[in-house]
Amino acid sequence: MDLDLQQQIIDSTQSVFDTMLMMPLTPGSILAEKVYTFQKSISAMLGFAGEIQGMLTIHCPQEVAFTITSALLGVDVDTINEDVKDTIGELANMILGGIKDGFTEQGIQINLAIPTVLAGRSYRISGMTDALWITVPFYLDEGEFLVELKLKTPK
Amino acid sequence: MNLLENIVDATKEIFETMIIMEIIPGNALSESVTEFKGSVSGVIGLAGSCKGMLAIHLPNAVAMAITGNFLGMAVDEVNDDVTDAIGELANMLAGNIKMVLDVAGNNVTLSIPSCIHGAEYSMDCVSDAERVVVPFNTDSGQFLVELQLQCNC
Repeated sequence: MDLDLQQQIIDSTQSVFDTMLMMPLTPGSILAEKVYTFQKSISAMLGFAGEIQGMLTIHCPQEVAFTITSALLGVDVDTINEDVKDTIGELANMILGGIKDGFTEQGIQINLAIPTVLAGRSYRISGMTDALWITVPFYLDEGEFLVELKLKTPK
Repeated sequence: MNLLENIVDATKEIFETMIIMEIIPGNALSESVTEFKGSVSGVIGLAGSCKGMLAIHLPNAVAMAITGNFLGMAVDEVNDDVTDAIGELANMLAGNIKMVLDVAGNNVTLSIPSCIHGAEYSMDCVSDAERVVVPFNTDSGQFLVELQLQCNC
């Protein structure tokens, strides 16, 4: 595949934050290790299938999710409510939408599923250990969040 | 398309042939369940002319019992065997539902299963998709199979 996935993730995420949230965002270096366990966090998972199959997941500490939700909706939030879940789920939709466009330009067709939003004190997400994982951290003033792309070519 | 009937048929078939465990389907829940404690959830996305997700939610004890039957060994903690088995179970269920949808003229592809587990977590779907949740009873307790689906056709 002739596609720099890390750059795709960064471009799409920055584009969404520039246009929708008007928040400056600094991408970090790709993580060397897979992250499975999350505390006081919210994660939006969005599956995709087609010529490539996989999943895009955004992992946000609660405080970061509140900041993003406030920026998008213009309301103050301090609990994980419907607004926060909808916002982080929609963020996954928008970021993966941008990455999908990159795939399409390469002639690779994928279709998106619907976002699922997890939240909780402590949870672990596993599976897809044999897939290609790319996890990019992004920094806001309030903290960091992760955008993770897992994919593989169907057998 | 009768989603409820398809879920019940698919789940019973997989438990009869692959897991060898007796299950009794209950009535579809009128309210969705989004909060889970001490549980394991397998989830997989569906994309194409229908899009959605299939999830199976099991208390730890039920997840361990199913994994024990599936792998033919004793399981006493939620380890990688359990999360792999429950992810695979979601995959098999979704594969079965995909076949039914494709026969009805759709073109559905599956993403890759993931498994979530934790002491306390919530799981919600962000969409206006049609949602069906069916409980099943086993000797070890009850689990839920959830399907959310929106079709273009």
